[in-house]
Amino acid sequence: MLDRGKRLKEFADRVQYLMDVKGGADWGSLNELLDEIRFIQQSIYDLTEAEVFREIERIEERITFLEIRAADLLTPAEIVNIVRSPQRFTLTDILENVYDSYTELGGMGECNVDPAVLTARATITRRVKNRLYRHQVMVIGHEKGRGEEYRNGGCAKPWGNAKALRYMKVAETEGIPIHFYIFTPGSYPTEDYPGAAQQIARNIYAMARLKVPMVSFISEGGSGGAEAVGLSDMRIMSSRGYYSVISPEGAAAIEGKIREGEKVPRELLEHCAAQLHMTAEDNLRLGTIDRVVTEPPLGARREDYSFFHRLRYEMIRATDEVVLKTKSFRAFRAYALKAQALEKDVPEDFEVLVNWDLTELEVERLLELRSQKYRAMGRGGYVEGKTGGIPVLGKAKELASSGFYELKYGLLRPHQRNVQKVIEDVTGESSVFLRKVTGPVRAAYEFVFPAPEHPVPKRPMEGGEERSVFREEWETYVSPLANEDGTVTCPNAQKYGCLDLWIPDLYGEFSGVCPTCGHHFPLEYHWYLEHLFDKGSVREFNHHIHSANPLAFEGFDARLEKDIKRTGRRSSMITCDARVDGIKLVVSMLFGDFRNGTVGSAEGEKFVRACDRARTTRRPLLAYIHTTGGIRIHEGTLGVTQMPKCTLAVREYIESGGLYIVVYDNNSYAGPVASFLGCSPYQFAIRSSRIGFAGPRVIRETTGQDVPPDYHSAKNALRRGHIQGIWDRREFRKNLLDALMTMGGSNLYYK
Amino acid sequence: MDRNKIDAECAIGYKRAMSSDRVLIANRGEIALRIMDACRDLGVDYVAVYTAEDEDSLHARIPLSESGGKKAYRISSYRDPNEIFMVADQAGCTAIHPGYGFFSENFRFARRAALRSRPVTFIGPRWEVIRDLGSKINTKRLAKSLGIPVIPGSDAPIYSEIEAEALAKELFFIQREQGIQKPSILVKASAGGGGMGIEEVNQLDAFRRVYRRIQNYAKRQFGDEGVLIEQCLTDYQHLEVQLLCSSHGEVVHFGTRNCTIQSTGRQKRVEIAPGFDPAVCVYSFDAPAILESITAYSVRLARHAGYDSIGTWEWVVTRDGQPFLLEVNTRIQVENGISARIARISGKSGYPNLIREQIRLAFGEHMGFSQEDVSFEGTSIELRIVAEDTKRGFRPWCGTITRFDLPEDEFATVYSHVPRDRPYKIPTEYDPNLALAIIWGDDTNKAKDLARRFISETRIEGEGGITTNLDYLHDRIEDVLVF
Repeated sequence: MLDRGKRLKEFADRVQYLMDVKGGADWGSLNELLDEIRFIQQSIYDLTEAEVFREIERIEERITFLEIRAADLLTPAEIVNIVRSPQRFTLTDILENVYDSYTELGGMGECNVDPAVLTARATITRRVKNRLYRHQVMVIGHEKGRGEEYRNGGCAKPWGNAKALRYMKVAETEGIPIHFYIFTPGSYPTEDYPGAAQQIARNIYAMARLKVPMVSFISEGGSGGAEAVGLSDMRIMSSRGYYSVISPEGAAAIEGKIREGEKVPRELLEHCAAQLHMTAEDNLRLGTIDRVVTEPPLGARREDYSFFHRLRYEMIRATDEVVLKTKSFRAFRAYALKAQALEKDVPEDFEVLVNWDLTELEVERLLELRSQKYRAMGRGGYVEGKTGGIPVLGKAKELASSGFYELKYGLLRPHQRNVQKVIEDVTGESSVFLRKVTGPVRAAYEFVFPAPEHPVPKRPMEGGEERSVFREEWETYVSPLANEDGTVTCPNAQKYGCLDLWIPDLYGEFSGVCPTCGHHFPLEYHWYLEHLFDKGSVREFNHHIHSANPLAFEGFDARLEKDIKRTGRRSSMITCDARVDGIKLVVSMLFGDFRNGTVGSAEGEKFVRACDRARTTRRPLLAYIHTTGGIRIHEGTLGVTQMPKCTLAVREYIESGGLYIVVYDNNSYAGPVASFLGCSPYQFAIRSSRIGFAGPRVIRETTGQDVPPDYHSAKNALRRGHIQGIWDRREFRKNLLDALMTMGGSNLYYK
Repeated sequence: MDRNKIDAECAIGYKRAMSSDRVLIANRGEIALRIMDACRDLGVDYVAVYTAEDEDSLHARIPLSESGGKKAYRISSYRDPNEIFMVADQAGCTAIHPGYGFFSENFRFARRAALRSRPVTFIGPRWEVIRDLGSKINTKRLAKSLGIPVIPGSDAPIYSEIEAEALAKELFFIQREQGIQKPSILVKASAGGGGMGIEEVNQLDAFRRVYRRIQNYAKRQFGDEGVLIEQCLTDYQHLEVQLLCSSHGEVVHFGTRNCTIQSTGRQKRVEIAPGFDPAVCVYSFDAPAILESITAYSVRLARHAGYDSIGTWEWVVTRDGQPFLLEVNTRIQVENGISARIARISGKSGYPNLIREQIRLAFGEHMGFSQEDVSFEGTSIELRIVAEDTKRGFRPWCGTITRFDLPEDEFATVYSHVPRDRPYKIPTEYDPNLALAIIWGDDTNKAKDLARRFISETRIEGEGGITTNLDYLHDRIEDVLVF
């Protein structure tokens, strides 16, 4: 009798699970089935044993039939339901079943800085020829819990991600591999110290060159939250998981222009879930993950021990692979590993034992491989147009120029510095006496190394007014916004009593700044190209990389075409060479007119190439963000992977001794801020701009809390340490020049 | 005596039918009244503006009482350009006279008037000229390039301490060379103005400290740490050259004025034309030659800059007769009346009215006379009657005036917005200026006597003991023209 009761309860769970997956009781009259089960549960003592047995047989048959039918045609939206079901396995289940023993670090349960993030030292065991070998690993991941409120559904807060970062560093110190487990619908959108975006950027920046093998497992990979602990050498995904740039609800709200508080229609949700290409097969095809771990057709649940068995095997195999790739002598073991993978069932024993410790040389190779891996991501997401030259020639030119710069600044420069230092030392000793001696030496030196071509920076004159008596008009670019005879009211008029501003004055002479209170009105990006840099010094490159529609997102081609026609550009990023008072620099600029400044594969690739150009030419790199709305959702995970990809490239640039300056303007939100922009040590904002992780609407909808006024203002970003200063638009050039002269590494060409 | 009357037909042949024009007077007080008079003389329609506080002022009362459509509009502030242009459009004005103060030297206002979709003639110089000469540094640089003497010092903002100290050293050296007993220099914030961020340095040792302080102040206050350094002049006379230029490149000067007698806040109180009079004072230099040279310099600069309206070139002349150009006021000035008063134009009776000439030329007319036609006669003194306590730092007095009797003499012209037939409350929002009196005499001594007589006959009474500067003016008349 007791047994039957248990079985009935199990049936109820299975029916409930089916209801979760199918998103309601309408499908397959599950409600009736559940009622039947409940009825038998209640009347179990009134019925004869034979009757109960018969009923159980009947119901089991029915449920099995329904399960097979349900698994037959799983839509992407249903996969999302599987992942979100309370019956799905969590990280605690994995720690219990995949690892042999574990010690949770940084908190337990509710008593934790952020219960949504779990970090643990764990032991994973393998058997090779009847002998047991234990490996120490660091496990970091999200804990969704079983509906407990304090777990926040696996939404990590900034301090949760900070905890993760801390233990990544511990793993690096101890030299043990890290296993990441991603179970998050997204990061918790709060701007509290240091802000979600800032913390994610720090994490990605650190992971980009973490000196240990990292393997990540994705069950629920929602956007930026997933990236915060997701950068790894091997990315595995469960077959019923999803990995996406945005939750289907979020995408539907944007696509359908759903107003706040309204419910998203189900058809739209299904449509968006399908369009985002978020399933494991899709991601494998797009190259954003490396391998899929097969789950049962309807997804693995809490007590699916065979799945955990498989997962243990897969995690060990993945770590082995990462380690083996770095070994100089690996042919035999790699072969063994490969042979093993061909078997269909999970074997009990491993053929070989791989030591997970790495030597220094192997660490270097690991980082190199990681860089290559991420740089290759999203390669299929853009169109590379014709440059007009022969491709081979282009490559040769690139090689030649990098060789030239290496020779000029890498080899000759240190010598020049040394010679100069000696001369300075000697002349400083006793100038009068020794001048006779050093004179000829210096002359010879100056003949070999002529005086630097860039002029000594001088103060920019105010608008170059000297000869204005003879000039009828200033010869500067004036915003087309100024061509209207009218007035605008400053938003701060109530507070500071600003007079209404005449539009030609405001957008002309005042550079869009209210002279009374300093409020900055938005200006188009062209203004900056004209006012920030020396006249005629802007030379655009990689113009031929175009945005595309790699996922064939429905209706996106038309919108892309519209923006191309409107802006005359084919991506939202402009990369160019420019000069500021003679100092050459590389500029990458995101502007809002094209798809709201979102970053997709084309933009990511352009940014990476700009980083590489700045690195080979040893020039400073300026990222000016006119506006960015985040990652382009229409490119799905191809867009999301631009976050680690660009961060990796920019970190390599910074570590080569460059200077990376980020300046935010207007609105900068989400992915880019949470990765390759937010990781810069020198971030500045133009006054009256807004910076953050998620917009006010998203915050209200996810957290259910109202957003404080000016939550995203530059001032608040400064207060919480996200940015290092607020710049006035009129002093942008001056401040930039100051920054170029005073900040950055010693490897810049002009230092 | 018709030489004491303003010449009614001084302006020659109005080519343009000015009767279709309408001038908005964007100012208050006596200058608004004088512009009204000038418009009436020219037969040009006008519209005045006033604020709630100025309701009782004559510049509001007179146009309100006149017939022929609405002639005065109430606005909330004289300083809001949006409101001024709104009134101009509403009233169908074709030109705006800014008077002095407010928008008179605001090139943005002039630019907006010229470039807006319904352009309005700005009665004043071209906006480019206002911009170019409105900045003291630019003026100084331009003047230097034309060989016009300017106060020794920097003509561009200095940002480096080494550079600044070198210049300071040089300035002290020059002064000692000239035998100046107590040499001193001024350190100014280049972006500053109106006396903010200026400090005097008396010895080189103290310079670095002051320089740093001013630099920090400038950076904090104006966002630009540029600093100007120049010689501090202590013993000088403040002279002005009155120019009248047309848009056709004609330049005529109306002699010089001496405006040395000023309040502690550098507000002029007694002015006299011409600038020097060797007949009553003894100068250590050739005074007429100096007057001639500063006039010639001013004309040179005006021609070079393409000046096209009325304007004043401000000069200082040191005790040893060294002139330095200070700045250019690109507007009509309060004291334009004394220059006009001593001027005679051949072929015309009486003396000219410069405001009228300014309006006429703004409408694109030719001057109609040349420098040779202008001659000068007698001496004119202007007294600014202000309700202030001259013994207590020229503190303004506020209250209600119950009696306001100024003598009506042939030798005196009085401009005032204060009504005489009823009590008048001085608005606290603006300067407590009450009246301008322009006295003319055959020679300087006579003019001085008449001015004193005028003051002693003036009766001003107010509730609770009014304080005016009449006694102060009486005392200071003796000091005019003297070092």
